Amino acid sequence: MTLNEKYLIILFESVSRVIQAEKILKKSGIAHKLIPIPKQLNSDCGVCIRFLSVHRAEVIKALEAVEIGELLEMPVSKHKT
Amino acid sequence: MSEIIDAKGLACPQPVLIVKKALDVCDEVTVLVDNKAARDNIKRMAEKYGCAVAVKEEQGHVFNMHIKKNLPGNSDACKIITESIIAGIEQGVTAGQTVFVISSDLMGQGSDELGAVLMKAFIHTAAEMDCPPSKMIFYNAGVKLTAADSDVIDDLKALEGKGSELMICGTCVNYFKIGDRLGAGKISNMFDIIDVLSTAGRIVRP
Repeated sequence: MTLNEKYLIILFESVSRVIQAEKILKKSGIAHKLIPIPKQLNSDCGVCIRFLSVHRAEVIKALEAVEIGELLEMPVSKHKT
Repeated sequence: MSEIIDAKGLACPQPVLIVKKALDVCDEVTVLVDNKAARDNIKRMAEKYGCAVAVKEEQGHVFNMHIKKNLPGNSDACKIITESIIAGIEQGVTAGQTVFVISSDLMGQGSDELGAVLMKAFIHTAAEMDCPPSKMIFYNAGVKLTAADSDVIDDLKALEGKGSELMICGTCVNYFKIGDRLGAGKISNMFDIIDVLSTAGRIVRP
């Protein structure tokens, strides 16, 4: 990851949708990561999908069939992983 | 008058815990620590509690941290509580390493699909902890997480980078045939695993 690349996250309404989306992204070979929803955000479903902003278009296209909730910028955290 | 706590030489997270407990009853706490991680963790915690924090670096990489809050407190109670906390630590009540035991690639029972999601979230969050575990032991299907193509391999590498030692059951690696593609950790054996488990201060099994 270079310095000016940002992470985006997608929140979903349910864990099942997250699992469904993860399967699709894996199949499509788009780099992504399933992570707990950052503390600053609130949601009933505790996990979300994170990816680099450069993959934004690909991810949205791949997930056309899945009802996605919100697409957000990853909040700035003290941690770098 | 403020209490002075000498937290030099104490392992993470003890300095933070001591200061946190002291702040429950004190207006003002001065703490001495000898590493940057403790300094940063205490500062973050104290600021979260609405305290003002002043840090002075003294000789020999010692940080003198003066923490002051606005609410009134009782300095006698403060002295008693900090003494009892320190005594507790000296007696080894909270001593010993924290060991995470990863006995499966799933977290909990009920749904394997959900269990896989939860385990990924667990490992990711563990890698973001200020004070990660001293050791993590992987056995049975837990060893699959340490394969180079595992979804959590970056998190496990981050944990190693923060000083966690990853011990992987060799028998299990052999059984699942992943010996040629381990991505993190070191192969271990039952002798070392039993030694670590039986001397641990705290065992966490997700």
